[in-house]
Amino acid sequence: MRLLAVRLCLMSSPAFHMRYAPLLGVLASFMVGACSNNPHPAPYQAEREGGTPWVVRYAATPEDPRSLDPQVSYDSVSRRVIEPVYECLLEYHPFKTDPYELRPCLLATVPEKVDGLGAGVIYRCRLKEGIFFHDDPCFPAGRGREVVAEDVHFAFQRIADPKVECPVVSTLQDYVLGLGDAFELARKTGSFDYQAPIPGIRITGRYTFEIHLAQPYPQLLYWLAMHFTAPVPREAVAYYDGKVHDGIPRDHFRFHPVGTGPFKIAEWNRGASIRLVRNPKYQTTQFPDGGWVPEQESLLRPMAGRALPIIDEVYLTVFKESIPVFMLFRQGYLDGMGLGKDAFSSLMTPTRDLSDKYKQRGVGLYRITEPSTFYISLNTEDPVLGPNRKLRQALSASFNAQAYLDVFFNSVPIVAEQLLPPGIAGYQKNYKNPYGFNLEKAKALLAEAGYPNGRDASGKTLELTFDVVATGANERAMAEFEQKQFEQLGIRIKVIENTFARLMEKQDQGNFQIASGSGWMADYPDPENFFFLKHSKNIPPVGKNESRYRNPEYDRLFEKMAAMENSPEREAIAHQLNAILAEDVPEILNMHRSVYALNQPWAPHVAENPLLEGGFKYALIDHDLREKKRREWNEHPLWPVWGLVSVIILTVFGSVRFHREP
Amino acid sequence: MLAYIIRRILFSVPIVFGVMLVTFFLFFVVQSPNAMARRVLGPKASPQAVETWLHNRGYDKPLIFNSNPGEPFHDSLFVNQIRRLAQFDLGTSDVTGRPLKDVFASGALPSLLITVPAFVVGFALSLGLSLYLVFMRNSVVDLFATVFCVALMSVPVMVYIIFGQWLVAQVFNYLPAFGFSLQGWSTAKFLMLPVALMVVSGLGAEVRLYRALLLEEMGQDYIRTARAKGVSNSRVLLVHVLKNGMINLITVVVASLPFLIMGSLVIENFFGIPGLGSVLFNAIQAPDFAVVQASVFLGSLLYLGGLVLTDLCYAWVDPRIRLQ
Amino acid sequence: MRGWIHVFAFNNPMAFFDQLWVQNGLLLLTYTILGGLALKASRSERWKSAWPRLKKDRTGLVSLGVILVYVTIGTLDLIRLPVEQGTRSVLDALTDGIPQEKGYAAPLARETLSLSNPTPVRAVHLLGTDALGRDTLVRTMKASRTALLIGGLTSVIYIPIGVILGILAGYYRRWVDDLVQYFYSTIAAVPEILMLVAILLVLGKGVGTMAIALGTTGWVGLARLIRGETLRQVERPYIAAAKGLGQSNLSILSFHLLPNVMHLVVIKFVLGFSGLVLAEAMLSYLGVGSPVGTPSWGAMIDASRSELSREPLVWWNLVSATSALFFLVLSLNLFGDALRRAFDPRRT
Repeated sequence: MRLLAVRLCLMSSPAFHMRYAPLLGVLASFMVGACSNNPHPAPYQAEREGGTPWVVRYAATPEDPRSLDPQVSYDSVSRRVIEPVYECLLEYHPFKTDPYELRPCLLATVPEKVDGLGAGVIYRCRLKEGIFFHDDPCFPAGRGREVVAEDVHFAFQRIADPKVECPVVSTLQDYVLGLGDAFELARKTGSFDYQAPIPGIRITGRYTFEIHLAQPYPQLLYWLAMHFTAPVPREAVAYYDGKVHDGIPRDHFRFHPVGTGPFKIAEWNRGASIRLVRNPKYQTTQFPDGGWVPEQESLLRPMAGRALPIIDEVYLTVFKESIPVFMLFRQGYLDGMGLGKDAFSSLMTPTRDLSDKYKQRGVGLYRITEPSTFYISLNTEDPVLGPNRKLRQALSASFNAQAYLDVFFNSVPIVAEQLLPPGIAGYQKNYKNPYGFNLEKAKALLAEAGYPNGRDASGKTLELTFDVVATGANERAMAEFEQKQFEQLGIRIKVIENTFARLMEKQDQGNFQIASGSGWMADYPDPENFFFLKHSKNIPPVGKNESRYRNPEYDRLFEKMAAMENSPEREAIAHQLNAILAEDVPEILNMHRSVYALNQPWAPHVAENPLLEGGFKYALIDHDLREKKRREWNEHPLWPVWGLVSVIILTVFGSVRFHREP
Repeated sequence: MLAYIIRRILFSVPIVFGVMLVTFFLFFVVQSPNAMARRVLGPKASPQAVETWLHNRGYDKPLIFNSNPGEPFHDSLFVNQIRRLAQFDLGTSDVTGRPLKDVFASGALPSLLITVPAFVVGFALSLGLSLYLVFMRNSVVDLFATVFCVALMSVPVMVYIIFGQWLVAQVFNYLPAFGFSLQGWSTAKFLMLPVALMVVSGLGAEVRLYRALLLEEMGQDYIRTARAKGVSNSRVLLVHVLKNGMINLITVVVASLPFLIMGSLVIENFFGIPGLGSVLFNAIQAPDFAVVQASVFLGSLLYLGGLVLTDLCYAWVDPRIRLQ
Repeated sequence: MRGWIHVFAFNNPMAFFDQLWVQNGLLLLTYTILGGLALKASRSERWKSAWPRLKKDRTGLVSLGVILVYVTIGTLDLIRLPVEQGTRSVLDALTDGIPQEKGYAAPLARETLSLSNPTPVRAVHLLGTDALGRDTLVRTMKASRTALLIGGLTSVIYIPIGVILGILAGYYRRWVDDLVQYFYSTIAAVPEILMLVAILLVLGKGVGTMAIALGTTGWVGLARLIRGETLRQVERPYIAAAKGLGQSNLSILSFHLLPNVMHLVVIKFVLGFSGLVLAEAMLSYLGVGSPVGTPSWGAMIDASRSELSREPLVWWNLVSATSALFFLVLSLNLFGDALRRAFDPRRT
């Protein structure tokens, strides 16, 4: 169209464009008519084998997975793809979240603990029979092999192999017998000996094995539900070495997963999209028989016991920013989305309900509270903040977390009153942080701390530095807001912007006073996974105790609690730990992150559990409804095209007419 | 001629080395490898994992000189990196471990799909418009259009994109607001809006430049002679000025040709096009030292390639230059 | 081992520059120097002949007027007044009475823009308010300070480097020329945007560091221009005459060559200024732009992307920032062109 316009200029004869103008218009409207604004390519297959429509779920992911090696990945983006491709020994029940519940996946039953030698314990495990890996060229004849106990052992060997770079070996080596020794030996010799078995994983049959622990570790069961311990076929690791064989380059194993899961990767366009297609041989798990919330009874009852996955394909689009996600959701090209700040106030009414427009569209709304806690770290080794507990208490009491959440998170998350988030054993429902927001109290505490009205004995205003990671407009506004909160005390806060890496470096060195941007999302739903954050052996660079908090009493109680099975006594210790932290204020508690998420009328929200990353195998889609709604929502008027064409023609025509050749 | 080309290329070698030196310094100053490892491995990584990661990539070596006893002094990060790049071994991404060869190869096509049409359309359109303005020179149209060009230049690229994306994709639902996939001819639907926006955002500056170049040609003696001989205005313009002016124009634009492959940092990111611009953007955010260093290396090669191309163009147009 | 690097890290801007008298003094000094230069320039032959032509150029004069308005607003925000806690600018003092709202409010609207919780505004805002309820007009005006600072500081950095290296290369030629050419070829060989981002990552965000980054890449063009012009000037008889009279190199450089390339510097300064204002917007988008608390048009435009996907539409921040930026850049470009016409009437 534009090229034609150029030629019109060149021809500069009125007769020329009079003749071609209608053609131009027709061409332009044809182009717009022929182009759909659907950003997705056609589904993997047009129809299922039975002739029913092939059902796709369209979802978003913020970036490409960094690695799909189950023993390596430790980020939620990669997990979004690993979860549907690999399966773990155990899995979380998709609906039960208070408390969370483990159910068998590749194992036939949840293993029972048996006492072992000395302080040790043994877990006896039995795999389901007849589970096969995905069909893949790495297997003889391309047919997936049956999963056996040896594959679990191989996964543990890979955990211990330094070349694999498993991030959790430092935790597991304290418990699984011989794991640490194998790791150290391989580091010394430079290569891992895969012939030598790991003593802690004893194979007792084709499908049975035992896990031997050096000391009691009730959290082991949670580890069996994480993909680090997912069985991996030896053949795939050997085959996908990233080298060229017979002129054909092979992918690296971390980009070519071979698991047992309900989906396998059919296509991966880096930076753009990932297509997951159903594994036709899948039979490990079925849709649960119950456990859903009563409101979903009519929707989910018919699904009980059904074969998984329900849908045929998951199409993940990579969105590096949140704005286009909302744009495509509105047009019906995404089946669900988290409700960011941008979309929030346009969609919500004061009663935290959807606005009429979206209700009429049939859009659904639900809230997810993650088992997470966010806080602002105070450096307890800092010469000003460290020795002055009252000052830390004052800072904590001056921070209005609710106002912060109102401004930046539309009041969706819950103000954190304690380190433990809801749903975790030891969480106290009605507990109030003694140094929660109270400006009067904060000012009094500041005076007691030796800085009446923010000034020290010599009358100089107290100045503290506040390190933040700021990359975008939003982070910038947040830092400004936090600064203002503290400055209500009459002190001065100097904001220092850092890159993420620079802030990490400063935390490693303890070179900061106040630092924002800390939070912990549970690996598994256990109080141990939160309280260890303040243990003295976890001071950076070793661990994530950014406040550099040291308290021998706390350490002792924590160690005692960590080894216990859940019981009222254990909860009592958790309450004690919480009380110590509340008084010492090593950090200013901020929130337990929650989000509202939206789903389209054709894609009901099914899996409640925030520990799942997508839960795609349970997803439901009404294909016909989607087609209908998409047409309705994407009508495009033609008048602007005609308008534009006329303007171009008139301009050219007019200007040629206006100025004849001299 | 050959000797001339070889001389030009040899002249580029110290520049490439200088570039490597500058970027290496910049990126190792801002991101210690240690911090980079933590960034890649996530906030939950143990120091043991960080150490292993660094060792596996050779990032635990000293920066410039190796003063450890028993190791050769040149076994340092800088020397090893330079040596690799000199052999055109781009290495692997620090973040994903993918070979950068693949990363750049897979990003080149989407980038070219945007930049080549944008370049062709932009060039044709600007040339047409500037010819038209030269034709209309010293009229109200010319005056108005030059001011309008300056106005077009004065709007930031992002505003064009934000507005265009909002209007075309959100209000009128004509084209996808976001996304990219290679699917034959319908790939065009992802390209039309970015290409159009790229053309529009560059139009003002280009028309102005081309107009100035063509006007300069108009002032030449042979044109005056031709007009004195009674050749018509439009014939002078379309035959003589265009033919000779084109040579000037081509030498101006040829330097930018190699950069087409680098894509557009901003456009690609706005529209989710997985080109090299987007690769670079992510590498800056990550930060992925290997990708950034390799892009700078390739970028400077492209720039120098553009210089050589320009010189060749001049030499081809004006044989006297070869003698210098 | 890496401790020395932190000396260069501008994470803790030097407290020296936070002081009231230093800031106002520097401002006064800058304007005095600029005034002095203008006075001196007005006596030279070339400038005397250019002035009448400029006076007749209506576009040039109008754009100069617009530029002066921006400079005035920016200067008002640069002059600091002492208050109880620290300092604040004259502009802050003048706009003190404008209240902050609870959130977005449309231009001239009577209540804030929120489906969930609209509240009546405390004052009607001519151009509406932003996400935090601050008056958009005031933010837009305050941003001209940032633009002025970035343009000014960058020019202070790159003009001396470019002029000195350019003149030296053109005058001495031989190895000096080779060395200068090597320098600028190396800098120019790195894609500019990458270079800017890299430097900003090293030095940290900030108006000063942005000026350093832009200055580092910006001198290349100027040095090239000046080198070319010097090469041409050196051929002229007046240089040969000066040499023949036995004048020292230094005096030839500073009394003969420098005044004869100065008009190019002024044109480049004005046109370059517009590029700098646009560059700031781009860097803000890339996440290495203005730091916390610095109002800037780039940051406003960046933030407006999410505002356009809201319902109802929040357009006023984008429109205000874009128009403010647009009129400044447009005026600078037009004024630059007018200068060029005035100095060199034969071309164009």
